[in-house]
Amino acid sequence: MSDCGCEKAKAELEEYLHNELCSSDAADIREHLANCAECTTEHLIGVVLTETVQRACKETAPEDLRDMVLSRLRLSQQHA
Amino acid sequence: MPEAALLERPTQAFTASDALSLPVMSNESPEAETPHADQPDLSALFEEQALPFIDQLYGAALRMTKNPSDAQDLVQETFVKAFAAFKQFEQGTNLKAWLYRILTNTFINTYRKKQREPYQGTIDELEDWQLGGAESRTASSTRSAEAEAIDHLPDSTVKDALQSLPEDFRLAVYFADVEGFSYQEIADMMKTPIGTVMSRLHRGRRMLREMLAGYAQEQGIGLNPDTGARAPRSKK
Repeated sequence: MSDCGCEKAKAELEEYLHNELCSSDAADIREHLANCAECTTEHLIGVVLTETVQRACKETAPEDLRDMVLSRLRLSQQHA
Repeated sequence: MPEAALLERPTQAFTASDALSLPVMSNESPEAETPHADQPDLSALFEEQALPFIDQLYGAALRMTKNPSDAQDLVQETFVKAFAAFKQFEQGTNLKAWLYRILTNTFINTYRKKQREPYQGTIDELEDWQLGGAESRTASSTRSAEAEAIDHLPDSTVKDALQSLPEDFRLAVYFADVEGFSYQEIADMMKTPIGTVMSRLHRGRRMLREMLAGYAQEQGIGLNPDTGARAPRSKK
């Protein structure tokens, strides 16, 4: 509909962010982003959202868990 | 969209060749175990390849079960099942995705039944994912502040927000954004069509963004600094 490319870009930004677009579609988005401040901001928020969730969800398994897993594995090995 | 077109996603083939070619000898094992004659290679291989995923699997299990003790049980179950099925695992294919499929299955079949959340079945049926939504509501200048505000939120706030998403949305967001799985891999794990994955992801991310922007505003992140307890109120 609109020929500025925003509509297509906005519909595909999330797939672009997740590397799900084929290379020619991704190239279209990249080209559009280079010329559109609004879509660039939108894309930035998407990137920040992903990074923020990634950072927040970093976990380390408790040391006992590793030990428990190992002993259960050894146990199931014996009964195999 | 051309169907067999080249994806942007870099191919991250799991190379098991290193692990395979190395002799699995435990010359630094503290309690020098006597290896069984028939199985030692497979179990050593499993420990070497699968165990390093324990932190990630635990992280995912926490987001699924919402509590550390169930998460630990879920991870243990997952490893036991994965070990039992490890003979069928095809070396050279994506081990992480394979482990996550087992984790997700185990969660759905055992834990979800226990902690039944209110029915959310209709959530997927609304088809608004193509709509503009949140992004078109605010002016562009406030939106660049939005990115910064979200970036400055404490981890606990972000986790709480994620935790409050409906389960299917939460898992889709976790799989895609934290673990970097492809839509197809997520579809396989959640046993849904790719379109459903995209819809869940889009809605989950949009809800998350709205919540986080809301928290940021409440806590004054990205706004004027707090004036403190003794700040004079203009009483006029």
